[in-house]
Amino acid sequence: MNLAAFALLALVFGLVAFDWATLRGKNRRALFLEIAVFLAGAFFIVLPHRATELAHFVGIGRGVDFLLYPTVIWLVRESLLTRRRRIEDSERMTEVVRALAIHQSERAPAHSAGTSTSVTA
Amino acid sequence: MPVKDGGAALLATLAALRASSSDFGALTVFLVDDGSEAPVRLAELPAPTASFSIVLARHVVNLGQGAALETARQLALAEPETFAAYVTMDADGQHLGSDALALALAIEDGADVAFGDRFAGDSNVPRGRRAVLVAARWFERALTGLRLADAHNGLRAFSRAALEHVRIRQNRMAHATEIKLLVSRAPLTVVEVPVSVRYSRETLARGQKSSGAALILRDLVLQYLFGDSK
Repeated sequence: MNLAAFALLALVFGLVAFDWATLRGKNRRALFLEIAVFLAGAFFIVLPHRATELAHFVGIGRGVDFLLYPTVIWLVRESLLTRRRRIEDSERMTEVVRALAIHQSERAPAHSAGTSTSVTA
Repeated sequence: MPVKDGGAALLATLAALRASSSDFGALTVFLVDDGSEAPVRLAELPAPTASFSIVLARHVVNLGQGAALETARQLALAEPETFAAYVTMDADGQHLGSDALALALAIEDGADVAFGDRFAGDSNVPRGRRAVLVAARWFERALTGLRLADAHNGLRAFSRAALEHVRIRQNRMAHATEIKLLVSRAPLTVVEVPVSVRYSRETLARGQKSSGAALILRDLVLQYLFGDSK
């Protein structure tokens, strides 16, 4: 293993340790999923020739490409879906705030009715 | 009428409308407080008269001018009474009650939608703002097909039929382009009416910035890409 591999492993285990310390009481299943994915990443950092063997098996030149292609595709999809979810959440919040505003709207006590032309501003 | 932290300018705008309300026949202001730090209180607003009344709604968080206009639109459409015209205007003193009346009269004369044209009126549009508005006019013309002289003017009027068409989804400032897009897609008669928009140091500081054009463009693209295709 070279220095870059050690640095990447330190990053992976550092993140896992940090998330374990900060998130374990909140979302244990997501944390286990993250650890599983990161352990798989650590495996390929320690044994990069395994990734190359897999890449050759499916017809891709380099092992790193075998890992990067699906990761980038998945991240782009996740980014687009997250944007869509944010807009949906914003629309829902708008509807809730609006419904509350309309429900609680007030009108000053009315005087006698006006004439035919009315304008809302 | 959307408002956020309107202060004295809001009170002056409402007082001017109240004073001229008999010219309208009768005038109901649907005021939407869009999450002001100090909430607008009905008791502090000009008192109602035989020809003037206010309906106040409050967003508990700030959503944006487009969202406030949509709340006002829904409030107005829910009224049992059908109004002769529905006018949108700003609360910061830039817009005149007399222009709101002129727009309402254009609706009474048969138009479905009347857009204010600040360039045909006695407006003191700053040079930088004028350049941005010219660019916005060409952009909206390309997008909607409507050949209008002004863009992003908050003074507009609608008939009830037209108002039912303009369901605003853009919460922030892109609603102005969205409204034109919705109007262009419906069989509506559109006119422009000269109005006078008064810019002051205060209204320029509080109002929409020229740099906001980039944010408007971003909101339009995001809505186009990720919004519901309704």
